[in-house]
Amino acid sequence: MINLTIDGRAIQAEPGKTILEVARENGIFIPYLCYHPALKPIGSCRICVVEVKPGPPRPLPACATYVAEGQEVVTASPRLTAIRQELMKLVLINHALECPICDKGGECELQELTHALGVPEVDLTAIPATSPPDYESLLVERHTDRCVTCGRCVRLCRDHVGAMAINFMQRGYFTELGSGLLPLDCEFCGSCIDICPVGALINKQFKYRARAWEVTKTEMVCPFCGGGCTYELHLKDGEIMRVYNGETALLCGRGRFGWPVLSSPERLRTPLVRVNGELKEATWEEALTAAAGGLKAVLEEAGPGALYGVGSPRATNEANYLFQKFFRAGLGTNNLDNPARLHYVKALSALGQVFGWPEVKEADGPHPKPPAYTSPFTVKEDTKGSGFTFVLGFLEELPRADAALILGADLTPELPPLGWGVNAARQKDDFKLVVANPRGTKFDRWATVSLRYKPGAERLVVAGLMKALLTAKPDLAPAVPAQGFEEFKESLKKFSLKEYASRAGVEVADLEAAAAILAQAQAPAILFGTELLSQDKGDMNALALADLFLLVGKPGTPGSALYPVADKANTRGVCELGVLPDRLPGLLPLDSPAAPAFWGDKKVAQQPGPTLLEVLDLLEQDAPEAPRALWALGGDLLRWLPNRSRTEKLLGKVKFMVVQDAFRTDTAKLADVVLPVAIHAEQEGSFISSTGRLGVLKAALTADGVLPDWQIICRLASALGVPMSYRNPAQIFAEFARQIPLYAGLAPKKAVGKTGIPAELKGTFVPFDLDISLPGRRPFTLIIGKVLQHSGSYTTHEPCGTLVVTPEGAVSLNPEDAAQLELKAGDKARVISSHGEVEAKVALDPLLPAGVAFLPEHFAQPAAQMLTLNSNLVRVSIQKA
Amino acid sequence: MDAARLEAILSRYEGEPYDLIPVLQEIQDNYGYLPKDEVKEVARRLNVPLTQIYSVATFYKMFSLIPKGRHQVKVCLGTTCHLKGGPRLVDSLSSRLGVEVGYTSKDGQFSLETVGCLGSCAQAPVMMVDDKYFARVTVDKVPKILKLYQS
Repeated sequence: MINLTIDGRAIQAEPGKTILEVARENGIFIPYLCYHPALKPIGSCRICVVEVKPGPPRPLPACATYVAEGQEVVTASPRLTAIRQELMKLVLINHALECPICDKGGECELQELTHALGVPEVDLTAIPATSPPDYESLLVERHTDRCVTCGRCVRLCRDHVGAMAINFMQRGYFTELGSGLLPLDCEFCGSCIDICPVGALINKQFKYRARAWEVTKTEMVCPFCGGGCTYELHLKDGEIMRVYNGETALLCGRGRFGWPVLSSPERLRTPLVRVNGELKEATWEEALTAAAGGLKAVLEEAGPGALYGVGSPRATNEANYLFQKFFRAGLGTNNLDNPARLHYVKALSALGQVFGWPEVKEADGPHPKPPAYTSPFTVKEDTKGSGFTFVLGFLEELPRADAALILGADLTPELPPLGWGVNAARQKDDFKLVVANPRGTKFDRWATVSLRYKPGAERLVVAGLMKALLTAKPDLAPAVPAQGFEEFKESLKKFSLKEYASRAGVEVADLEAAAAILAQAQAPAILFGTELLSQDKGDMNALALADLFLLVGKPGTPGSALYPVADKANTRGVCELGVLPDRLPGLLPLDSPAAPAFWGDKKVAQQPGPTLLEVLDLLEQDAPEAPRALWALGGDLLRWLPNRSRTEKLLGKVKFMVVQDAFRTDTAKLADVVLPVAIHAEQEGSFISSTGRLGVLKAALTADGVLPDWQIICRLASALGVPMSYRNPAQIFAEFARQIPLYAGLAPKKAVGKTGIPAELKGTFVPFDLDISLPGRRPFTLIIGKVLQHSGSYTTHEPCGTLVVTPEGAVSLNPEDAAQLELKAGDKARVISSHGEVEAKVALDPLLPAGVAFLPEHFAQPAAQMLTLNSNLVRVSIQKA
Repeated sequence: MDAARLEAILSRYEGEPYDLIPVLQEIQDNYGYLPKDEVKEVARRLNVPLTQIYSVATFYKMFSLIPKGRHQVKVCLGTTCHLKGGPRLVDSLSSRLGVEVGYTSKDGQFSLETVGCLGSCAQAPVMMVDDKYFARVTVDKVPKILKLYQS
């Protein structure tokens, strides 16, 4: 620690901090304009100047001067005031004084600074420098004449968002904020708006709707992806005015602009019951009676095994926990699964094989009456953790990685916060990045090595990397005790390095360069997403990456971890809370000795249920154990399961179907009873983010006709003879947290596995399948994946803000391929696979290699899953429609 | 966009971000300005964000985003030239050519701009037309100079 004085006050500070940071921590006011806690300082506005002794006779900028032992800092003196006032006059010289109509009024840093510094009047004149405002761009409005050229937005956009969509234009006195061409062509995340100290960047959704001081603020977790960001919801008269993040300013477009979807006319507001073959509006009483009656009839006729449950990655931990409790404690079956079966669950099972399933022993507790959403367990000295949870990464530590491999993921669309994490990591000079993807992505720009492999060849790339690693360093040994290494090395001998490279479609030299980066890294991170997991052999892809991490990873070093993407708000939670046919809450096995304690000593069925995909097979075979009734907690099965026409046919065989959803989805249209649910800030509850962070939703809005999932489950379960009654979601959290020592130390904004539990890791190398053949002979390989502006189908309903940026799904083609097919951007094309066809608009994307096409998964039309069989990769032909 | 014309320039560089300024200079010389489509292609090929190219292009006076005239008239307004009557030259040129500073005459013959210093303060006021310097220019010499270039 360093001892210094600020304004005569003795202060202890950590070395490496700046005077401004230390002053802020200690509540000492130093004015500033260009500094922002989320950015690196540039010391350009000079308003934060302070007198420093010992030091040069001139004042120094507090934001860019480090604290030193014995420093005496003076933050206020007549000389400093004079300097600051003069600087403020220069800032104000050309500032458009439109405060009465400026949206920033009341929260403008320039306004407050002018007031705080008592700038009397601007007695300077200058050539007026005015540029017209940009009203044309989507979502963001720009007023260059209000800009104070602090460069916060430019730095944020360049260093953290990585879009580099805004920059300074002109020079000297005439310097202004610009984007080169109009309108703005960027990621439309709007982060620049929240970091702007003045009203130069305006949120079009917020403009003229409320003044800053009129809003009430609620902090909550964002429900638009698995990133787990928290933001402030600003409300006026019970309506959302805007979403705001003053702390780090970073949010993605969905998070910041997606909320109008809540008031979509497509939202279901009353329950629906099928009467004479048609879905008719009904009261809650009628609908719950109908649902209970229908389910009861099936259960009485065919036994408890006849009901199958599908949990939801959109629903809270509490709802999902109750859902599986109904099946396990009520019906005594394990007949349930969740839609992450198609991607994230594959990663879990691979990680389970290589690193073991998570377990925490000797946690202290459960203590009575912990605070809301806090684990009753604490970590004590001999607490020990094991299993894969402890090799999963935390978002906050990603910037500390010194190398990263991004495999098969267009990272920002998959999970925007991971993109920011990698951007933060690359601010370090020694950071090395390997980007491997069949398509070009944003991160290729910063990649030390880019590997452009054939679609579906992920495993060959990973095998090639390991082969190259072991060739260069034959004595390479894993950082943690591992079994099966020798046999594993044998399995890699199937091909030579050259063969791996040629089969994957990459250069040997690139593989070697990438391997060298991973071998030298002290904290390598491995990031991968649903695009690679959604393949038929996605579990093998995950296995390959888990093996690679076992070989090169440095578990325990901050930043060195596996970062699999759990795409939706609670994809990780729905799995960890046991909505799986073979795992209990806390991912415990069915035969765990702790299991009976879950529901008052009632025995847990030892027979795992069928998975979601097995259920479809059972239905197809008309097997006696095929479910006759289905209870889906959301999750539009038709939209997400591959081979849509088959799914549609098979769901038709289900006798009785209850669907809880916020929208009239295609699956809901097949249901017998549809129960409309609360979403976003209409309900309370918790989510677990992709990187393990516990986020809490707050009920800030009134629910118009809808009910939260947990209440529906309680009422329906009770009507089915499984009484459930809870006061609020916090009580449900308290119930399951008592059974899950893995969550020891967990509290809001803390991350699972990041609560100080010492981990004892070991691993087993598991050989993986190397066959990457894709059936069919059609000329194009179609990848079905995510686009930046959408999260599942949630954001595809009007008036969601991001729909103005990406209003529809288009099939993207390489420009040369398109030219050969005589297709131009905007033309209609028919995309035909052996299982179906869709019509879609054509978009041109030079980042796609020849012979590869891309179609987003989000939209009702074109329905991507019409084309698929069992993977998000499918061979198609494309022709002019 | 004439792809071959741009390719002739780009093919002589490695395609690295640090090639940006020389490439823009060649485009400026070859086209007389930086056309939008060409700039977009340069962004893609050199892996430089489009906004950074525009930032560079607007920073340096040697680049122009609008077509320049056949002849570039530059009047020095550095300290010495300013004192010795540079502003009067600007006014005279502006009215004779019918063009504001920073723009191009209607017939596309002349572009007029002012510059910070041409490095010949001893001979102030100085102006340049294309690559040629004109020293100790007075207002009454302006028509003569322009005549040399008016076709």
